[in-house]
Amino acid sequence: MSKLSSDMLPLENMRICDFTIVWAGQSSTMYLADLGADCIRVENPYIWNPATRASAPIMTPEFSALLPPWMGGHPPNGRAWNNSPAFIHVFRNKKSITVDSRRPEGLEIVKNLIRISDVVAENLATGTLEKLGLDDNVIKSVRPDAVILHIPAYGRTGAYRKGRGYGAHIDSVAGSSMLRGYPDSAPATNTQIFAGDFFVGMHGAIAMLAALRYRNHTGEGQVIELAQAECSASMFPQSALEAAWNNRESTTIGNRSIEGFVPNGVFLTRKKATEDDRWIAISCRSNSEWKSLVNYMGAPEWARKGDLNLQEGRAEVQEMIEEKISDFTITRDRDELFRDLQQVGVTAGPVLSASDAVDDEHLLQSRAWQNLPASEDYPEALFPGPPFHFSRSNVSIRKVPAALGVDNDYLYKELLGLDDEIVAQLKSDGHITESFSKEVLGES
Amino acid sequence: MKSALEGITVLDLSSGIVGPYTTKLLADLGARVMKVERPKGDPSRLMGPWLNNEEGVESSGTYQFLNTNKESIVIDLSKKQAYPVITNLIGLADLVVTSFSPANAEKYRLAPRDIRALTDVNTLAITNFGWTGPYRDFTISETVLYAMGGEMYSHGIAGQAPLKLGGVAALMQCGAMGAIGALGAIHAKELHDITQDVDISLFDVQINSVDRRSSTILAFRFSGRTQERPEVGGLYLIGGVYACADGFVEVTGGVNSSHPYWSRVTDMIGDPRLKESKWGDLDFIRKPEAKSEADAIVVPWMIERTREEIWSAAREARVILAPLFTGKDLATDKVFNERGLWVEVEHDLLGRFPMLGRPYIFEKTPWEIRRPAPMLGEDTDKILGECGYGSAAIKNLRLEEIVR
Repeated sequence: MSKLSSDMLPLENMRICDFTIVWAGQSSTMYLADLGADCIRVENPYIWNPATRASAPIMTPEFSALLPPWMGGHPPNGRAWNNSPAFIHVFRNKKSITVDSRRPEGLEIVKNLIRISDVVAENLATGTLEKLGLDDNVIKSVRPDAVILHIPAYGRTGAYRKGRGYGAHIDSVAGSSMLRGYPDSAPATNTQIFAGDFFVGMHGAIAMLAALRYRNHTGEGQVIELAQAECSASMFPQSALEAAWNNRESTTIGNRSIEGFVPNGVFLTRKKATEDDRWIAISCRSNSEWKSLVNYMGAPEWARKGDLNLQEGRAEVQEMIEEKISDFTITRDRDELFRDLQQVGVTAGPVLSASDAVDDEHLLQSRAWQNLPASEDYPEALFPGPPFHFSRSNVSIRKVPAALGVDNDYLYKELLGLDDEIVAQLKSDGHITESFSKEVLGES
Repeated sequence: MKSALEGITVLDLSSGIVGPYTTKLLADLGARVMKVERPKGDPSRLMGPWLNNEEGVESSGTYQFLNTNKESIVIDLSKKQAYPVITNLIGLADLVVTSFSPANAEKYRLAPRDIRALTDVNTLAITNFGWTGPYRDFTISETVLYAMGGEMYSHGIAGQAPLKLGGVAALMQCGAMGAIGALGAIHAKELHDITQDVDISLFDVQINSVDRRSSTILAFRFSGRTQERPEVGGLYLIGGVYACADGFVEVTGGVNSSHPYWSRVTDMIGDPRLKESKWGDLDFIRKPEAKSEADAIVVPWMIERTREEIWSAAREARVILAPLFTGKDLATDKVFNERGLWVEVEHDLLGRFPMLGRPYIFEKTPWEIRRPAPMLGEDTDKILGECGYGSAAIKNLRLEEIVR
């Protein structure tokens, strides 16, 4: 049956040859896969790319327990590369092919994939593709109208080009790390976060989408360079412009607001059963929200002083206000307080742990989760689906997260059109596999 | 075609941070964005920093950054007679972007279904919590958004409060997601002739964040383990943030010597004690003295060197390390300036000033500031003229304070 146009996905008939790793790269192609692109992960079973399919190829219970849950919380199974909670979600809607691109016949297969791809995306360490023999000129000679996306950490030119970094290092250079933290402690107590990975991944998708549009209109591809640290700096324009315009440095203000909301912060609430780490975020975005908060607290004497009716007045005694609110919230149940405050017009919300979020009734009623059936690698579970919902195109998890090499058969035989004999040879030569090589597994 | 999104016209009814960042991304790549502002202007005009430290409706850094390359038309949506004007503007657009709350969308008759009833056009509607469900009408701030949607719970240190991100980063992230949705809709229209409504909620975007959030949730589902805020010092024997001679650096060295980055960082530091076999002994590394023993070697090495001395050694040794930059560092850094991170814009009222520039470099269709952020209502007459309003009609709309 031919497809109705209303079933068409935005990027139906677009193909991505995907060499991305870690979060920024792998999420950038994920968004395009969500939108319908045929995204083929090109994976070398002889190379373990750190922080790409899992923390390590073998995750023993002892090693897992050393790691924080987001890295170590695997379902027990011998194929860690197919079920890392840190990475499995960025494989959704993608396909996976294995090939050792360092061998001539492997490189030829990769070139054949590039020949039928619209986009080549990569964020390997700067120079890796070139060393493989896949510089921009080679890619263009194979596929003249390719859109090529590079995502270096600090740029492909300039003195920092050889710098290595994960998300935490990108956050450092982009200014993020100096802007977060407790106001009274040094940044040395910061925990690592990866805001830049999230931001850069989305910008990678935007860049590819824009370049594809140009190509659709002109027939021309182009090379895009997305330097992670530069892109991430855009998350904090206020701090950068304050420095450039007024030569003034911005420092961390903890949980207070750069928008001038007072109070703004998180406050500990009453213990529930054994749980004592329950916080509520409250932001009075206007004087009327403040009045509503004061009334809700029973209009205590301290809050009724005239100059507290204005943000500027409250800003002068911010610490006192925060202490008084804490005294109040510690007597209240977090979730009741959240509902009540929102009902009376105060912007508030619980600090949701992962275990809170899975039970959140709004999320359960929304389209945030999609149920995926149990597989060899993970139990039946609700996975996060694409966060954009289209009224006609079926933008959702249409294909479960790609296990290593799971699409080899289809890709080698049907897409690349290789006959059974050649495929059997490639299998015995170790290109086609659903596991990493002995060398990789032995190393860990 | 000179730019990637040339020929696309966006009617931007959004305000604040999220929607305007979405449409800035489109405008900076060549789309025409007609920004509809309320008579007092976009609320972001009230947010600093201020050019030359002078507060004013045009001199907000937040506004200037978020609205490059856009046109501004001022319409008072609370007036009934504004509706036909908006209707005419929708007729010019390929995409309509809104960030109304569900209640306001209903009040202004500008929910996606209302817009679709007027004409067959792509819409992108950004809401806090979506159009249905118990939180539908709840309000949000940067902090509340990150608290509920993002991974605030495990950001910070055990025993202290959960921490937000710097600035308004969570809102900026949501703006970027909006642009993906918008471009998806544009592709569906241009390639398959489908127009549709794209719906994005800020809560959903953060729940989806690859900055640990999707991962902590899946980890809980897979293993029952909840990500807590860590103790100070964290996971790595060598790793985390170190003070150095002129600031701080962040390094990933390893939980122990079997970690692939251990040899790189210990080569760089060059102290033979870090090459001893005990750093691979699981029983030893679990002891608190293992961390303090490593610190006794690493901390002094760092403190004797500047950020650039350390970073340049790390770049040669392939060590996963970077300096913590401040706003001033970003503004003055020679390498980033030479690469073009900053551009200079010329504003009719404010003169010339530097602007934080491109997030990406396109080979053929460069990111470009064609004009700075618009002054309040700068393009009202021009846009109304395109909708067919003559000068008498425009004068009348102004007299009745429907436009300005």
